[in-house]
Amino acid sequence: MNRRSFLFCMSAGATALSGIVFSPCGSVAAMFNSPVTTNCLRPPGAVSEELFPSRCIRCGRCVEVCPYRSIVLLDIRAGVYAGTPVVEVDKIPCYLCMKCVDVCPTGSLKRIEQHQTRMGLAVVNKFDCSAWAGTILCRTCYDKCPYPEKAIRLDQLRPVVDEKWCTGCGLCTHACPVTVKKRGKAINIVPLYAEKKVGR
Amino acid sequence: MKRDTLVGDKHEEKKPKKGRGLNRWRLLTLGGAFLLVVINPFVTYYLHFTFVQGWYQSLGIGSLWFVSPLEGLESLLISKSFYGPSLVGMAVPVLVALFLGRVFCSWICPVSFILEVQDRIRKVFSGKRYLFNGLIVAKRILWVTLMTEILLSMILGVPLFVFLSPPGLVGREVMMLAFFGSLPLEGGILLLIVMLELLTRRFFCRSFCPLGGLLAFIGRKRNLVIDLADESCSGCRQCDFVCPMGLRPSVGESRGAYCWNCGECVACCDNEALKFHWR
Repeated sequence: MNRRSFLFCMSAGATALSGIVFSPCGSVAAMFNSPVTTNCLRPPGAVSEELFPSRCIRCGRCVEVCPYRSIVLLDIRAGVYAGTPVVEVDKIPCYLCMKCVDVCPTGSLKRIEQHQTRMGLAVVNKFDCSAWAGTILCRTCYDKCPYPEKAIRLDQLRPVVDEKWCTGCGLCTHACPVTVKKRGKAINIVPLYAEKKVGR
Repeated sequence: MKRDTLVGDKHEEKKPKKGRGLNRWRLLTLGGAFLLVVINPFVTYYLHFTFVQGWYQSLGIGSLWFVSPLEGLESLLISKSFYGPSLVGMAVPVLVALFLGRVFCSWICPVSFILEVQDRIRKVFSGKRYLFNGLIVAKRILWVTLMTEILLSMILGVPLFVFLSPPGLVGREVMMLAFFGSLPLEGGILLLIVMLELLTRRFFCRSFCPLGGLLAFIGRKRNLVIDLADESCSGCRQCDFVCPMGLRPSVGESRGAYCWNCGECVACCDNEALKFHWR
C-alpha cells in the first residue's frame, strides 16, 4: 500500500467517524445540551446533572432492570449524553420500585430510600388544571399520588403540591387527563434538583 | 526449512496437531461470550429475568458485578470521586489483565468474535491459507490512542469514548434492539471496524482500541506469555503469518506488550516450539 491510498483511507475513516458523531445532533453546541427537561428526568437517586454524564458509564443496567420500562436509554442524537438513562414521565412514570439504584455500578444513582427520591418537583399549572379553573371536580393526581395527603393534598378540592414530600415520580403527570399543546399536562415534573450545583 | 518439510508432512497425516484444540476452545469461549451479550437483553425484556444484567461495560451476575477498567477509570478521573463498588468491580478485570495480559480481547470480546468469524468466511472465499495484511500501522499508536482517549475525555468533561469503545457498543446495540426496536447510529463504528478488517487483520484492535490499549498497558509485565523454544524451532515462520496482531513470534515478539495471548501461533506450530509459559 502506498502513501496516497493510506492517506485516502485515513481521511475516509475520519470523515465517516465525524459524520457519525456530529451529524445527528444538529450542531456542536447541541451535543452538550442536557436532555433533562420538564417531564424528562433522571432515574431515582441520580447525582446532580453537572456530575451525572461524567460519572455514568452508560452500561444500561438500570434500563434492563426496570420492570416497568420507565427508564429509556438515550442514543447518539443526545450528543455526549448518548447512553445515559432518562425517565419520560408523561409516557411511563417511575413507580419507585428502587431496583435501578441497587444495580448502578458507578454510584451515579445513589442508593436511597423510596421517600428520599427527588427526581423533580410536580408543579400544577393553575391555568390548565380543570380543578383550579373550576370546570370539573378532577382529583386524578391526588388519587394517583403514592404519598396522598402528603405530597399532594386538596385545598378546597384543588390539588396542591408539597415540596417536602413530592418525589417527582410523575404518576400524577402520567394520569393527568388534561393535555395542552406545548405546555404538556396540567401537572408537570420540573427537574429542580438536577440543576443543583455540586458543592465541592 | 529442510527439517520442516521432512517432518511436517508426515506429522499432519499421523496425528492431529495438539494445538488445534486451543483454537477451538477460543472460538467456543468467544462464541459463548458473544451469545451471552446477544441473548441476555431479549431474555431480560421478554421473560423479565434480570439475574444477569448489562454487557461488557458493566456485567452484573446477581449481586456480583464487573466494571470495565477503561470506563471505570474514566468515570473516576472525570468526576474526581471514588465509589467503592465500582473499584471492586474493576478489580477482577484488572487482575486478569495483570497476570494474563490482554486475554479479554482475544478470548471474550464480542467484536473479536465477529472478526474471527469474518476471518473464517474470508478464508473460505479467498481459498488462501493466510490472510493478507494490506496496511500496517505502527503498534505504538496504541499508546497514543489510550492517552488521547483519556485526555480528550477529561477536557470535554464527559467520557466521550465510552460509547466509542466497541466491546460495549455491541451489547448496547443489541440491547437497544431488544428494548426499543432501534439500532442507534453509533453502531456505524462496528461497520467501520468490519470494513477495515478487510484491509488488515485486526486493524482496529491492533492500535485503535482504547480498551485494548489499557489492558495491554496493565498487562505489559504479565505472567502468562508465549515462549519460543529455540532448539525445536525449524524457522518455518508459520507463526508470523498466522498472528492476527501482525507480530513475529519467531523472533520472540510474543513476549512483548502487544501480544494478546490468543494462542494462534501455538496452535499452528508443527514442532511445538511455541508454548504458553508462566513466568
